Amino acid sequence: MSAVKREEQVVEDSKYNVIGKSVRRRDALAKVSGEATFTTDVKLPGMLYAKVLRSPYPHARIKRIDVSRAERLPGVKAVATHKNTSRERFNTSATMTFTVPHLQPVLDQYIFDDVVRYVGDEVAAVAAVSEEVARQALKLIEVEYEQLPAVYDPLEAMKEEAPDIHAGCHEGKNVPGEVVKIALGDVEKGFAESDLVIEESFKLPVQKQAQMETHAAVAQVTPEGTITVWSTTQTPHPTRMILSKVFNMPNSKIRVLNPPYVGGGFGVRIGCSAKAEPIAVALAMMTKRPVKIVYSREEDFTASDTRHGGYARVKLGVKKDGTFHALDIKGVLNGGAYCSFSSEVPGVMGTMTLAIYRIPNENFVGYPVYTNTTPCGAMRGFGNPQGNFPLESVVDMAAEQLGMDPLQLRLKNIMKAGEPWCLPYPCSSTGLAECIEKGAESIGWERRGKFNKPGATKVRGIGMGVGTHVSNSWPFCVDYDNAYITIEQDGSVQLATGVPDIGTGTSTSLPQIAAEVLGVELDKVNITFGDTANTPFDIGSHASRTLYAAGTAVIAAAKDARKQVLEYASELLDTPAERLALKNSTVFVAALGLTDSCSGSGVCQAGSGKRTSVTLQEVAAHAHLHNKQFIGVGRIVPPNSPPWEAHFAEVEVDLSTGQVRVIKLAAAHDVGKAIHPMIVEGQIEGGVLQGIGYALSEEIKYNDKGKQQNYSFHNYFLPTAEDVPEIDAIIVESNDPQGPFGAKGIGETGLVPTAPAIANAVYDATGVRFTEIPMTEERVFFGLQNKRKC
Amino acid sequence: MSFTTLKFTLNGEPIEIAVSPSDMLVDVLRDKLELTGTKKGCGKGECGACTVIMNGKAVASCLVPALKAADAEIETIEGVANGAAHPLQETFMDLGAVQCGFCTPGMIMSSKALLDDNPQPTKSEIREAIAGNICRCTGYVKIEEAVEAAAEKLREQR
Repeated sequence: MSAVKREEQVVEDSKYNVIGKSVRRRDALAKVSGEATFTTDVKLPGMLYAKVLRSPYPHARIKRIDVSRAERLPGVKAVATHKNTSRERFNTSATMTFTVPHLQPVLDQYIFDDVVRYVGDEVAAVAAVSEEVARQALKLIEVEYEQLPAVYDPLEAMKEEAPDIHAGCHEGKNVPGEVVKIALGDVEKGFAESDLVIEESFKLPVQKQAQMETHAAVAQVTPEGTITVWSTTQTPHPTRMILSKVFNMPNSKIRVLNPPYVGGGFGVRIGCSAKAEPIAVALAMMTKRPVKIVYSREEDFTASDTRHGGYARVKLGVKKDGTFHALDIKGVLNGGAYCSFSSEVPGVMGTMTLAIYRIPNENFVGYPVYTNTTPCGAMRGFGNPQGNFPLESVVDMAAEQLGMDPLQLRLKNIMKAGEPWCLPYPCSSTGLAECIEKGAESIGWERRGKFNKPGATKVRGIGMGVGTHVSNSWPFCVDYDNAYITIEQDGSVQLATGVPDIGTGTSTSLPQIAAEVLGVELDKVNITFGDTANTPFDIGSHASRTLYAAGTAVIAAAKDARKQVLEYASELLDTPAERLALKNSTVFVAALGLTDSCSGSGVCQAGSGKRTSVTLQEVAAHAHLHNKQFIGVGRIVPPNSPPWEAHFAEVEVDLSTGQVRVIKLAAAHDVGKAIHPMIVEGQIEGGVLQGIGYALSEEIKYNDKGKQQNYSFHNYFLPTAEDVPEIDAIIVESNDPQGPFGAKGIGETGLVPTAPAIANAVYDATGVRFTEIPMTEERVFFGLQNKRKC
Repeated sequence: MSFTTLKFTLNGEPIEIAVSPSDMLVDVLRDKLELTGTKKGCGKGECGACTVIMNGKAVASCLVPALKAADAEIETIEGVANGAAHPLQETFMDLGAVQCGFCTPGMIMSSKALLDDNPQPTKSEIREAIAGNICRCTGYVKIEEAVEAAAEKLREQR
């Protein structure tokens, strides 16, 4: 998008002084100058380096492990195995700390176990004076394995004859936790009443977050026994709770912090950064020295959570006039070797897919299934893309069979604010119709179907997909936030919030919110974040929630502090607090306005002689000299609000090679209110490109020995700068009645409907429907060939 | 392990440091010289986070044996600002090209090597120059815009 167009699009709201403006990010200077510190940069005196021995087998029992030769290698300070580390069961994902009370978290991991369940599973770890020595020591560890039968496909793993990967699956063979079931109306009756029923099955790939900084942690144990962990986590407070459980230590004696920057997340470290934190802490306790662990890129690929792949089946019942009447979705998701977020992901797949349209009869059942592959957990979209691609493909199939424009069919059926839906909170707002309208205009929807001449070897097509998402994790997880705002003695402001900034700009946008509510200049506000030692508890940065939920807490804290300031100033100005206002760091009599109030000096004093304004600096200093400080506390349980998005793709398909090239992607998003428009655009653009990767190139496959075939950037095909189409990020503001200043979650929506928009465009271009992604050259080439044979 | 004294110019200053033949330039910079602005994202030359400028060319410092840097002119992110921020640093800050920041130093070094050599690059030359630098956050849109804007700023300055 051109710079000119962006200026038109982002209309700065004169109602606000600070929010709605794309101010320079607070972290920008540190990051462009190389000064920004990440966990992988942390170095402490006496620090040791850890490396991990990983299983070469997909499923095996460790019959014997002998570490004596490794321990004797000069420079080796400790070797950790299942024999000398905590036997406390846990779950590396934060789900173990915030599973909602009517369910039980699945705790199926140890730091090290005597059974390994995927290629890459942890067997032992060494702490040594250098990474090189630690690596050499790994080769000296002798392990005797008894290989066990393994299974890699979730449908196979559900069969009775499949090997048990964990004990205690009460919902079905290899099904951890609960099977997710959602129902509305009577779906069977709904299909019977429908004029057209379309059913299709889809296969979904394993995608990798591929955040730029690999998992890392540095742990330090003091002689008094307190623990500090520098970590790449997205959730410092919940991660502290996990470590507290694993090491049987009080929460209060553990500090988890980002240093303060984190090289991306995309869901992969909600909770621990794979096992970086527990391994570093275990070795630091054994050696009494700081221990650093940095995952190699291969370890990051093979031994940390991926997106769930699997299968989805969609059945949609439609009336003759295009009214959607019944929808049934079934998901079978590959959860990998450990549960992680597998109990929650199907719920989001179901609800987010069912919530898009007004359909009286809906049903979803979602099975998470253990297999002997890398564990699957949270990745941007969290189940939503796995349901959205199938449904939005089927909606286009329905439009074709009905002879309707897929855009009009969607407009006819999309959810409206206040209508009943499958979620336990109301649909508080929707700007989806406006998103569809603006996206269609950007892509030139009217050109659809008019591109291709007979005999062309490269054909073009246009397709669309729409979707929604959450603005926090309730009701799927426990979800609440706290924030402190301290007015310092000089009137400057200290904001403390327990969320991190994983690159999404919260350390800029949260101060914007604080400054707006308080009525102070942005540069007066400093923020402390991502550190359990000096911030109040917060669930963390995930579920598109950080700005929405932590922002709500910041508003509450700022209002509390502001109220205290006005009450105190009330005496100074001899005016009741409710008649005072605070703007530009000045308290003044609201009725007079800021410009007409008297600051107690100069000409205005000669008039009435009564002072009608006082600076925040003066109030804070006066309070200090009278033994008082203003400290605002925000403690909130956020509501939840649905963001909405409509994506339009124009593609070109080379019929001779099967290559699909995205020419343009228009992404219109109802973000509620853009607190920092440039950051919002960046979230949309980044999400769109990850969605293009999901649609066209990104996939981890396993061979018949359970080994990943795509474990490096060399053979896992991420989009590069040369693959970027024109991306038009369009901001639609529906001003949600619940979110902070009307804002909704924006972190994940960019990815969600990208794959179906592209698949529908490929169908428009070629007449071939792809029900399996990514649409690689090979897959498309053979898909086109099969069509020719028919 | 035998050590050799390596001499090179780093951000305009002469450097002498003992390295072993197996040391890579990225590790010498990050661990021995404690210049951690140069990032390490894969260690195999596949992500570009460790990009530095060596004798005027952008290179993946994780693929450069430290001894290959003998007598070379090496420029890292720490040397880019010369008193004031470089135009690339300015435009990366102002046009939203920075998110998590982990790819940023390498991205700026690749872009700087391009602009040092070619003050008026086309869009496709910009894309080619940063094609080896992976960014997983931004979708590259604002990075490309920032490089274009920096080129313009630099031309105005000349």
